[in-house]
Amino acid sequence: MIDIWLVPMILFAPVVGAVALLFISNQQRFLVQMIAAGSSFVSFILSFYLLYAYDHTIGGYQFVQRFVWSENLGISFAVGVDGIAVPLVLASSILLFTGTFISWHIKDRLKEFYISLLILAAATIGVYVSLDLFFLYFFYELSVLPMYLLLGMWGSHTKSYNEMKDTQKRDFVGFILNFTSNSKEYAAMKLVLFLSAGAVVALLGILLIYVGSGLNTFDIPTLAAHAEFSGTMATIIWLLIFFGFASIAPLWPLHSWSPVGHAAAPAATSMLHAGVLMKLGHFSIIRVGYEILPETTQVLMPIAAVLCVFSIIYGGWVAYSQNDTKYVIGYSSSSHMGYVFLGMAALTYVSLTGAVLYMFAHAMATGLLFALAGWVYDQTHTRDIPSLGGLSRKMPFATGCFVVAVAASFGLPGTVSFIGELMILIGSWNKYPVQTIIAVLAIVVTLAYLLRMLRGVFFWEPGKELPYDAELKWAHVQDTNGFVNRMPLLVMIACTIYFGIFPGQFIDVIGSSVEPLLAKIHGGADVGGIP
Amino acid sequence: MNFTLSLSGADLLLLLPEIFLTIWICMLLVVDAVPSRVSKRVIGKLSIAGLSATLVALFWFYINGKTGTLFNGMYVLDPMAIYFKIFIVASTILVVSMSIESVERFPAFRGEYYFLVLMSALGAMLMASANDLVSIFVTLEFTTFGFYILVAYLREDPKSNEAGLKFFILGAFTAGILAFGISLIYGATGKLILTDIAQVMGEPSVALIAGFLLLFAALGFKIGAVPLHAWIPDVYHGAPTPVTAFLSVAPKGAALAIMLRVFFVTLAGFTAEWIWLLVLVAIVSMTYGNIVAIAQSNMKRLLAYSGIAQIGNVVIGLAAASKMGGESIMFYLWAYLFANLGAFAVVIAVAHVINSEEIEDYSGLNRRSPFLAFAMLLFLLSLAGVPPLAGFIAKLYIFMAAMKAGLITLVVIGLVNVVISMYYYLIVVKKMYINEPTDPSPVTVSPTMTATISVAMAGTLILGIWPKPFLDWTVSATQIFSHLNIVTTTQSLTLPFGG
Repeated sequence: MIDIWLVPMILFAPVVGAVALLFISNQQRFLVQMIAAGSSFVSFILSFYLLYAYDHTIGGYQFVQRFVWSENLGISFAVGVDGIAVPLVLASSILLFTGTFISWHIKDRLKEFYISLLILAAATIGVYVSLDLFFLYFFYELSVLPMYLLLGMWGSHTKSYNEMKDTQKRDFVGFILNFTSNSKEYAAMKLVLFLSAGAVVALLGILLIYVGSGLNTFDIPTLAAHAEFSGTMATIIWLLIFFGFASIAPLWPLHSWSPVGHAAAPAATSMLHAGVLMKLGHFSIIRVGYEILPETTQVLMPIAAVLCVFSIIYGGWVAYSQNDTKYVIGYSSSSHMGYVFLGMAALTYVSLTGAVLYMFAHAMATGLLFALAGWVYDQTHTRDIPSLGGLSRKMPFATGCFVVAVAASFGLPGTVSFIGELMILIGSWNKYPVQTIIAVLAIVVTLAYLLRMLRGVFFWEPGKELPYDAELKWAHVQDTNGFVNRMPLLVMIACTIYFGIFPGQFIDVIGSSVEPLLAKIHGGADVGGIP
Repeated sequence: MNFTLSLSGADLLLLLPEIFLTIWICMLLVVDAVPSRVSKRVIGKLSIAGLSATLVALFWFYINGKTGTLFNGMYVLDPMAIYFKIFIVASTILVVSMSIESVERFPAFRGEYYFLVLMSALGAMLMASANDLVSIFVTLEFTTFGFYILVAYLREDPKSNEAGLKFFILGAFTAGILAFGISLIYGATGKLILTDIAQVMGEPSVALIAGFLLLFAALGFKIGAVPLHAWIPDVYHGAPTPVTAFLSVAPKGAALAIMLRVFFVTLAGFTAEWIWLLVLVAIVSMTYGNIVAIAQSNMKRLLAYSGIAQIGNVVIGLAAASKMGGESIMFYLWAYLFANLGAFAVVIAVAHVINSEEIEDYSGLNRRSPFLAFAMLLFLLSLAGVPPLAGFIAKLYIFMAAMKAGLITLVVIGLVNVVISMYYYLIVVKKMYINEPTDPSPVTVSPTMTATISVAMAGTLILGIWPKPFLDWTVSATQIFSHLNIVTTTQSLTLPFGG
């Protein structure tokens, strides 16, 4: 019984929570917190169950539920998961659950915050489980709007924006000519416009698939099996789908909304944004581009192999020169998403499985980083690395977690990122040796900026005795304390390390769907899958 | 021409909703005139009661599949007419219920206000059934007549007077254009009934083309499509807000019913000739409306320009020239009804407290009235086309219809406009949710307004989440366009640069 309703329950638990919250007053803080935590917990637990209940010996779409929504237009509300969706659903619900606790202490309009967060998470899960193009797009669009409110209402301005005193000039510069001085409103609007623009490009592709296939259906399995596109038409559709969805991924040069958005967003939103929202792009490219246009994918995916190098290098390079902790993490995410694109472009069993695994790993690592950066910001009210430093004495627990996060982010053996990264690099070596070498070298850059941030925030320059009179300056600063603050960090660390040591279930599940997909793309040739 | 008028009881039954409403309107006038102490609120409630009874009668027609023609084909009652009549009556109910507060509050409003609103609604209902050129002219003028008075209703307010004068002069001019167009068409074909004209039209003559262009111009004026949009912002701004709300929905719906009949029935054989005209009008309307809306600082003007852009979207559906295009327009109208009337209801509710319609004064509305801010958020996002709201499905439906008709360029421009429109709707959202209020005192909402806004919210959400009943209804209501069915395959779908 639970299996039939498993996917709808994971999807709708946050929605039910959000609707329930509408009818509760902000005065009843504890009830608000409990409803948010409770509804996200349902998704959280059921997603773990989903990972182990998914039968990787069979593969394909499982837990499928289908309700006809309009026969006339060929739309049905069809949900189900394949091996590629399972880890991403899990990542979404983990980050939603931990994000609920990370935002526990928000003072202003907590109810509205949780409603937006729950809708955002439900929308991302919705994209991952949709087996109908219409609903895939439906949830994709739905995920954009809560981001606007989350950034605008609970976000924060950049340091340089805050330092501008002249309000007239501030609004003008912050909204139009921003280079370093972003207001949160600017970041929110930029994000929405970028993502909407990407979405309509993808929508054009989706409409062309719908009309061009002549099947009068949006059903992805049906379209994957029967729709045939060739020539210019296939190329155009594929490019629309690819670049439309790559803008959320974010692939260089469509990335510029992303670090700005990360920096403005409150901690839990950054976590979901970097952790799962960006992966909507990769996932949708796989689900729509790979599934429906396999031959074109093989021809055109080298585009991604070229652009991903720019993502990797540019993201890492810019991250190194940032002073804002959230900008560092934001650009590092852009850089890491380049690895995912490399894994996707190589189109081998090992690299694609690695790419999907790495998406999960990155969600955990980035979630941790943003959660901790958020904690530091809450305590010190600054994200500026030069004005921080020496926090490790006041917050040893957070420092420890941050060290783990850094390790997870650059892929220390023992973390799940290591497995994912290694698989991407091994799998891509034969096809794109140059890109692989660049990607390996970029790991050094990753390490450099992460350690620079770690040192700048929690430790201090070597050879100096505790500068910045840290004891005095951080007198009021507290470490993460209590169940509410530590539990989410521990959950993400546990997932990183546990799946780093026992990745077997993941690899089996992902592989069971990657193998038939690649077989289709390569036209039945052996893809070197593990039987 | 042998013109005998025979009316049987069964024929009269087809006119039942209109006859009932006419009697009811006269009764309202009498009740208002009797110098007893009948408050204006009671008259408002009686109007809603009468309209609800009409709605029930129309639904009875719909369920029982009552159809027929009257007066030698001048007047038809087909599923499409019933659909539009239900649309018009539903919008009038919402407008009357959002007027009750204003009418009570401002002495300039008198009991006849409801009489005029209902008269215009009656005219719009007749427009939905008009099937020949004369009845088009008569019903169109009948509808507009009430609006001439309604727009200028606030006698003390120069803006309202200005709006009334503008509307009257342009409206009278349009009536002339319409009459001229009709005379040309009649002169060229010798027929008045829309279906008859289609049969006798051979190769279109210059007179015929000019006639239909003039007819299109007059109808384009009613729906406010560019280049006949110029009256919209000033009239919307100056007219009392409930009248603006009414003006933005009911007459546009009725005029679209006529346009559907003219383009899809009379001119069905000449789609290739008129599609380019509609494509052009759609592109210019959307782009102009959306770009100019960005610069607006007044909520009513913003909604006026957004309305021009929305009509551009509707014209995409007309340009699709298919049954699906008709369906998508008719579905779009419902989404537009709930979102637009809801947004105007919020404007009214806010104006009652802060006495302003400037967007700047919506700052921090979320802190002053979470309900109104949330309602406005839903309505604006529905107009922008964001899921899970009605506007999303409606826009997508229209784009799907246009895509099936092969109008890829039009769809591309429409999609670009969706992104542009997102910007100015979100600016309002930013004011309401992100900015802090200058005056933090709460904005209270009366129970009537709460009820009206809640109905509009429910409609917006239900149409967005479970539109199936409405989609099926549009399919059955557009049976008269089944001759337009286009079967699209990969071959007929050509890309602008060859594919």
